[in-house]
Amino acid sequence: MEMDKLGVVTAFIHNIVVYNIPLLYGTVGEIMVEKSGSLNLGVEGIMAVGAIFGYIVGCYANSLAVGILTAFLMGALCGLLFAALTVSLQANQNITGLTLTTFGLGVYFFVGNGLKAVKWPAMNDYSHIKQGFANIAIPGLSKLPVVGEGLFHHNLLVYLGVVIAVAMWWYLNRTTPGLRLRAVGENPGAADSVGVNVKRCKYIHICIGCGIMGLGGYYMGLNMSGSFSSSCWINGYGWIAVALVIFANWNPAMAILGTFVFGFFNTLRVSGGGLAAAFPGALGWLAGIPSQLYQALPFIITALVLVGSSMKKTSNSGAPAALGANYFREER
Amino acid sequence: MRFHVVKRDNCPLWKKLGLYLLAVAVALTLGGLVLLALDVDPMAYYSRMFTMGMVGNKIAYKTFENYLKVFVPLALTSVALSLAFKMRFWNIGGEGQFILGAIAAATVAFKLGSALPAPLTLILMCLAAMLAAGLYGALVAVLKVKFGTNETLMTLMLNYIALYFVTFLGETQADWNFFLDKTSVRPIFASFAKTVSFPRIPMGKFGLNICVILTFLIGILVFIYLKYTKHGYEIAVVGDSVGTARYAGMKVDRIVLRTVFLSACLIGLASAFKVGTAGVLSTSITDDVGWTGIIVAWLSQLNTAAIFVVSALIGVLHYGSTVAAATFARVDSSFANMLQGVILFLVLAADFYTRFKIVPVQKGGNSHGNG
Repeated sequence: MEMDKLGVVTAFIHNIVVYNIPLLYGTVGEIMVEKSGSLNLGVEGIMAVGAIFGYIVGCYANSLAVGILTAFLMGALCGLLFAALTVSLQANQNITGLTLTTFGLGVYFFVGNGLKAVKWPAMNDYSHIKQGFANIAIPGLSKLPVVGEGLFHHNLLVYLGVVIAVAMWWYLNRTTPGLRLRAVGENPGAADSVGVNVKRCKYIHICIGCGIMGLGGYYMGLNMSGSFSSSCWINGYGWIAVALVIFANWNPAMAILGTFVFGFFNTLRVSGGGLAAAFPGALGWLAGIPSQLYQALPFIITALVLVGSSMKKTSNSGAPAALGANYFREER
Repeated sequence: MRFHVVKRDNCPLWKKLGLYLLAVAVALTLGGLVLLALDVDPMAYYSRMFTMGMVGNKIAYKTFENYLKVFVPLALTSVALSLAFKMRFWNIGGEGQFILGAIAAATVAFKLGSALPAPLTLILMCLAAMLAAGLYGALVAVLKVKFGTNETLMTLMLNYIALYFVTFLGETQADWNFFLDKTSVRPIFASFAKTVSFPRIPMGKFGLNICVILTFLIGILVFIYLKYTKHGYEIAVVGDSVGTARYAGMKVDRIVLRTVFLSACLIGLASAFKVGTAGVLSTSITDDVGWTGIIVAWLSQLNTAAIFVVSALIGVLHYGSTVAAATFARVDSSFANMLQGVILFLVLAADFYTRFKIVPVQKGGNSHGNG
């Protein structure tokens, strides 16, 4: 009986990771974009585009690697569009981002519904995709009690997400190109005057960031076993990622923690009932909380963080100073 | 030869319009190519879409009534958003403000609808919706003015908080929840269409909803407000430069608060129109007007008259694509969203050429600007 309860906890931890790693992809990608000084509100749409093309192409090629590559490239292509409009053509970032979301979701449903009318590729028919997405235990660590199975027995894309987040932290804080990128986001004029190619820097990082978002979308598609319905695979995760960037204070390492916090609430919504049943004494009250509160919590928390950080006027905020403003060289 | 980009001050209107039309034409052509790839005749599809299937249709008046139901909330929301955008206050919280307004209007309809005469109930619904939405918007303005909180991100968060609130109301069966249909086993929103609904002026078979007239009236009022009143002038100055406004002795904080409140109020009114016409609340009550409205306001360059034209066209795009989807089964109705996206991308690109020009760098150090 006691072991069973621990099993519930392990499954809970496992679910936090499995269902919320896409948030990490979206967030880390958006951090990279925002660090270049661009506020991209198109995360939801970019993830959707990456998801649908990654899934379909990956299935037809019957290769997870091809799927990953396609999702990344399609995301990066969306990024290229965003960069061309906002960096080169000086278009408003909010409008461009929002349009990218509308457009991306339009493409998602157009392609998805169109293919569904002919023949939808079912994930089960593609052995390599299924095997590639199967869980891999990390030797040693996965044998730890309770948390081992929950944290260290996951599919490839979970590990990849964490690796990308850590690598991004290192890149931003410990390398010269990362330093240049941060300079561009803080003060593009100053960066330009010391010889940083601002345009190129923005283009590259917007594209890479959006590519990472596309990967997150692909993960979500696989996680749903590729079943296509009237609700989008991304289902608002892109917007939560935008919120999570703020919560993580523009720090990719903090984003891992933030993903756990937001994921915790998200998982309580889905399997809080299981916890309440396993621990009726201590956690029985969980069953009474409306699921919509859990859905709203990431946004409530982020709103509070936004207000709190603006009240304190802290100097250690990770928000790039030039966020949302286009850089026009002639006006330097 | 090297080129560089310089700002241009005034682009003649004909040139602007020409560029925008070109952008739309290119977008439609691209869409046409997609249709061709699906083996659908683009001309047949587009004509079906743009006429919304009304040609040769005996119940075309019904189609037009339904179209106006799409048009009214979109036009009014876009007009409302343009007020805040003029001040460069990025209110992207139209969705959330719309939802709260709709909840407030529905509350009035449920609680007072059976006790009061219908016209009074409708007026109260409008007022309640305006107040609820206005306060939700003003909250962000207060934070912005007091602490400098980023309004784009803040309104974005509030959108989702409102969305999950209305979802909560729609999915929670309880004694206190008067929004739901008590007779239904599954949770669905109750209808109050029988008690109260915006009147329609009969014109033959066609009934002109009074909201349409009111929307045009408000559009004219906003146009006058922005163009010919002191408030409108202040909004323009604050939008141009906060520093200038302060220097001229304007109370910038008050102007921001007032305008954002007004902007959100009008969004609330749009939601009251929507709810009062539909007679029922819904979790998708906004029909995405909070998002689409931003795009419409921007496409119209915040010009009130242009907003009516553009929202009429975007309305045709959306409503027409659902009509056309019935005939052309192969073309999903999401085609409208895709097309709208492409149109806007191209207009944004075209916009560049109205604001900037590309000139060759001249030899001999004769540089433009102060770069």
